[in-house]
Amino acid sequence: MFRDITSRFGRGTDRRLWHKRALQKSYDAVIIGGGLHGLGAAYYLGRDHGMTNVAVLERRYVGYGGSGRNTSIVRSNQRSKENIPLYDEGMKLWPELMRELDFNLMYFNCGNLNLAHSEAEASAFKMTVATAQYMGVQSEFLNAKECKKLVPQLDISDRPRYPIFGGMYHPPGGTVRHDAVVWALAKGADKLGIHIHQLTEVQGIDVENGKIAGVRTDKGNIRTPIVLNAAGGYSPTVSTMVGIDLPISVLPLQAMVSEPLKPFLHHVVSSGRYHAYASQSLKGEIVTGSHMDPWPTYNTTYTTARYLKHQGEALIEMMPCMRGTKFMRIWAGLTDMTPDMAPIMSDSNIEGYYMDCGWGYFGFKSGPITGRYMAQWLASRKCPDILGPFSLRRYRDYNLQRETAATMYYTPWN
Amino acid sequence: MSFLIECPHCGPRNIYEFRFGGEVKPRPDENEVTDEEWADYVYLAKNVCGAQDEWWFHTKGCGCWFTVTRDTRTNMPVTREEEKA
Repeated sequence: MFRDITSRFGRGTDRRLWHKRALQKSYDAVIIGGGLHGLGAAYYLGRDHGMTNVAVLERRYVGYGGSGRNTSIVRSNQRSKENIPLYDEGMKLWPELMRELDFNLMYFNCGNLNLAHSEAEASAFKMTVATAQYMGVQSEFLNAKECKKLVPQLDISDRPRYPIFGGMYHPPGGTVRHDAVVWALAKGADKLGIHIHQLTEVQGIDVENGKIAGVRTDKGNIRTPIVLNAAGGYSPTVSTMVGIDLPISVLPLQAMVSEPLKPFLHHVVSSGRYHAYASQSLKGEIVTGSHMDPWPTYNTTYTTARYLKHQGEALIEMMPCMRGTKFMRIWAGLTDMTPDMAPIMSDSNIEGYYMDCGWGYFGFKSGPITGRYMAQWLASRKCPDILGPFSLRRYRDYNLQRETAATMYYTPWN
Repeated sequence: MSFLIECPHCGPRNIYEFRFGGEVKPRPDENEVTDEEWADYVYLAKNVCGAQDEWWFHTKGCGCWFTVTRDTRTNMPVTREEEKA
């Protein structure tokens, strides 16, 4: 009898999602960072371009960084015409990925509601809505009463310090289970024969005659003509290995979950003014994130009482029913913020060195689609049109992107 | 856990009293600088993972600008002697 049970649960058969492989002496491409962006690029390199002699190097474990620390919100209500198409395509990818990778990513398109607390904010949202509609993305402006109809727990009276004027409603947005995405992509990449090396730290990148020659790690040296820097919060430190400084500030962002509650919040609600966004997970916890601490750090083990208090106050102001709810866990992640709130997807003056970084706090929603386009770029050595505007060159050209007018604008300076 | 920054005027104070003012880097000569050099000066950062020299401003205190060497991995202050050791 016991034999039956063990065989049914697969003891003895290999059910691991990905496997430990021996580090090879050379690869056709090396991707630094075993997060969503790195694994996404690896997966699509194998799937679309037949490049499977590829290694993904991860200093800790797959999904340790921002990929597993974000608040799992997806949306495509960005501000500028360069950004919206990329995120919009990314949103349409989730159902496809679930089928393709045979993995439940728990995609829940419950819609995002961004609250406006002043006339000025309301006008800014109306402009963003107009852009979205022009680009074919579902988005609409709601007045306070309509917001209340959508989320009955909202307090739309004059009582809160910042009363609710209205909101920008973006129906296709929602949440996706972040860990599942990372695991699914790792599984998919591994199946294609791509090597995922965890606990492998990159210590140097070799450049010979202006070309990428190899990567030095604590587990051995690798020869490769292509390196993709997808190291998230550590992308600037990786980049300095080849002597390229980035216009990035690495800031810590804190997030927390409450104790599980009965389902009451059926949308993602966010407020730039209160610096808070919240959604309810399927387990009933309120998942909520806040503002970034406005100084650079690589320390993700510190969390501050200030944000617990801030978050409690913000949630109670917006939804008074949250009063008395306890927070269960709090954690921090690193955000690699650029001055214009748009990512850097770029090649460089070093042949074979590519970057996919500067994703700040919005790298989750865009992971798989960016991976797909970066893979195209690495394989063809030609920049896909959609990624053109995200070049590192734009800072030297004083042609910054217009995402600073987006719903939530955070830099080290505010 | 929050941490303290030592203001030369007010002593060690809560981090939330201060405003981070960027990394210490040499300012190019404004009469000779090219557009590209100026963009690099304005936007680029080293993001050192370790001891970093940086500007801080005591916004909610004496209003003093000063430099601190902080370990960005631990948020603890570093003296140059310690770093050498």
